[in-house]
Amino acid sequence: MAVTVRLPAMLRRGSDTITITEPVHSIAQLVTALDHAQPGLAARLEDTIFNFAVNDEMLTYGVDHHPIKDGDVVEIVPAISGG
Amino acid sequence: MGIRGRVARLVAELPQEPEYPAQGRTLFVDLATRELQSGYTPRRILETLLSGRGANMFYLYRLLDESLYPLHPDVPLIFGSGILTGIVPSAARGNCTSWAPESGVILDSNCGDYFPSFLRMNGIDHLVLYGTCPQWSVMLIREGQVEWRDAAPYVGLDNIDMRTRVADDLGGVWARNMSMVNVTRAGEHGVLTAGIMGGPKAIYARGGTGAKMGSLRLKAIVTLGHTHEFPTPKPYKAYNRQIAQKLLGTSVVKHALSTMGTPFLYRPSRLLGAMGTKNNQETTWTDALDAEHIAPYRPGMEGCFRCPVNCRPLNDLHTGPGDKYGRGDGPEYVTLGKFGPNLGIDNVEAVIRLNNICNDLGLDTASTGSTIGWALELYQRGIITTAHTGGLELAWGDPALVEKLLFMTAERKGFGNTLADGTRAVEKDHYPPEALKYRMAVKGLMQSDPHDARILKAFALGLAVATRGMDHLRNRVTLEINAKINDDPAFKERLYGGPVSASPTSYVDKERAVRCCENIYAVGDSVGMCRFTTQLFNSPSLPGLEEFSNQIANVTGFELSPAQLDDIGLNVMGVERLINFRLGVRRKDDTLPDRWFDEPNLHGAHKGEHIDRAEFDAMLSRFYDISRLTDEGIPVTSWRNELQAALEGGSF
Repeated sequence: MAVTVRLPAMLRRGSDTITITEPVHSIAQLVTALDHAQPGLAARLEDTIFNFAVNDEMLTYGVDHHPIKDGDVVEIVPAISGG
Repeated sequence: MGIRGRVARLVAELPQEPEYPAQGRTLFVDLATRELQSGYTPRRILETLLSGRGANMFYLYRLLDESLYPLHPDVPLIFGSGILTGIVPSAARGNCTSWAPESGVILDSNCGDYFPSFLRMNGIDHLVLYGTCPQWSVMLIREGQVEWRDAAPYVGLDNIDMRTRVADDLGGVWARNMSMVNVTRAGEHGVLTAGIMGGPKAIYARGGTGAKMGSLRLKAIVTLGHTHEFPTPKPYKAYNRQIAQKLLGTSVVKHALSTMGTPFLYRPSRLLGAMGTKNNQETTWTDALDAEHIAPYRPGMEGCFRCPVNCRPLNDLHTGPGDKYGRGDGPEYVTLGKFGPNLGIDNVEAVIRLNNICNDLGLDTASTGSTIGWALELYQRGIITTAHTGGLELAWGDPALVEKLLFMTAERKGFGNTLADGTRAVEKDHYPPEALKYRMAVKGLMQSDPHDARILKAFALGLAVATRGMDHLRNRVTLEINAKINDDPAFKERLYGGPVSASPTSYVDKERAVRCCENIYAVGDSVGMCRFTTQLFNSPSLPGLEEFSNQIANVTGFELSPAQLDDIGLNVMGVERLINFRLGVRRKDDTLPDRWFDEPNLHGAHKGEHIDRAEFDAMLSRFYDISRLTDEGIPVTSWRNELQAALEGGSF
């Protein structure tokens, strides 16, 4: 199992990606695994600005249960609006 | 009755003393005779519509003669600052209001930088301009007094040179004691996509503000004077500190607005498959324009008067001092989208350069980018040919071509004369009627932002019902893209005052979210708060009705509860719809471009998504119901009577 997670600049501690190798099947499980890899990250991800894209597709609802499989690339995307 | 009779009747009704200590006067300026009259916005209007955008609508409602046409000198151009403008952190905004020459419906444009605050520092809350200057003129407001300058030396100058020359000639310092709104050559030439510049980048955009001001032969309004604090019934600075802390503590400000600005949104829109590309024929584009790729060209950030956020990115293309367009302000997300994917351009340096040119030429990047995108698609489809373009080959992804078109537009030269007529190119016989099928406009106004709204139904409804035309800044339920909020139904229900479907593609209850946003944004515009820092636009935790209520009480002494402010937001929309009705707007105009009904989205997880006509119509009816609107989209009789009684009071 290998899931690549891309982090935005404000969440990075060095590398811009984290590779999760422990078995995960959903975004909720992935967040727990991310917290193991980078302690404190799960709490930071509770901030409403942080959203998820899986394989270059933004998730707009039903995120916790969204399925994750081996080889997926997950990106944490800060979402704001503009004018 | 002509404009002078209307003004005389109105001024006779207005109080001649302020309704609260910090209130500035409303100055009526006959540009033809230079006669000045003044009064104060009555308390009844302030408690019905507040100031800024709201009171501007009161003045337009009373002074507009709809038998004329938008560029007629008897149709007034009105500037107004919010009730908290210049007083509260991030409340640096004001509105400019008239009858839009670009769209034919209301013109109402919001801008920050320094002019709205400095106008108030000069004791003026609203400026009502009418008549035509006998020759090109500059109106100088120095410590509250009006002086006139011959603008002959400035005619033909665009924004960069104009700002340099005026600062040299008048001896003021921008952002310290001097501010200006001005038109460029585009405004002088009546370009319908021209704005009124309010700073190096800040612009009163949308609707053809520049053409309107240029038609009055008013090159600029300059304020000179010292900043000061305002007398208030109760202390307000301690609460200001709370508001500033709330702003700076909000994640979206801390992590995005203050560091990179609005280009941050490009990536989520692109990943969602909702990035308007090639005039919305496609909906996704390259990652080469993601905000991180702008970072190497961003030497710093700047901001508006007394705003702690500083969200305006500066740019430097490192091309050397001789390159006039090698540095500037921006781009914002809208410009990035309109001059990137919308025109098929994938080079970040090219987009930044085009942004800098638009800021100099005084062109509204939303309307101008959309107008060029429309032309490119018409050429692609063979609806127009080189016979229309004066021999120019219009191709997607050609920054040099776009640069040329921008200058031609500003000068109304060659094919630029067609582009300068914006959405009206068919009406003016530049294009055949078939071209309208590909025009991405509502109520005669091109879409403001690059977001393709086939997926997000709340976005689509907002664009359809926005009173000034197809514009996201009037009511966008931005948080619909936010999964954290969509996945918390209880929180979402509290946010919008009732349930709203979690699925962005659903039509269910989306009217409630649009209504809620339209109200709070109208209040924000009327107090002078920036949209980016108003609750719901970017975050659920930014200052909103409660903070506005508390600070209005401190600054004015008026006790207006959050619920009353919400009603005021509705009132502002109601008055705008009454004015639009006089201009011929009906239910049929609260719609969307055919493309979004007829052509499915081609990309990503939402491939196949489009707007269903029957579902949309039902959603529009529900929106009218909860907005107290009739089937034709104007306030129901009882509310209409209340509004008209307030607006036409006779004696205030």
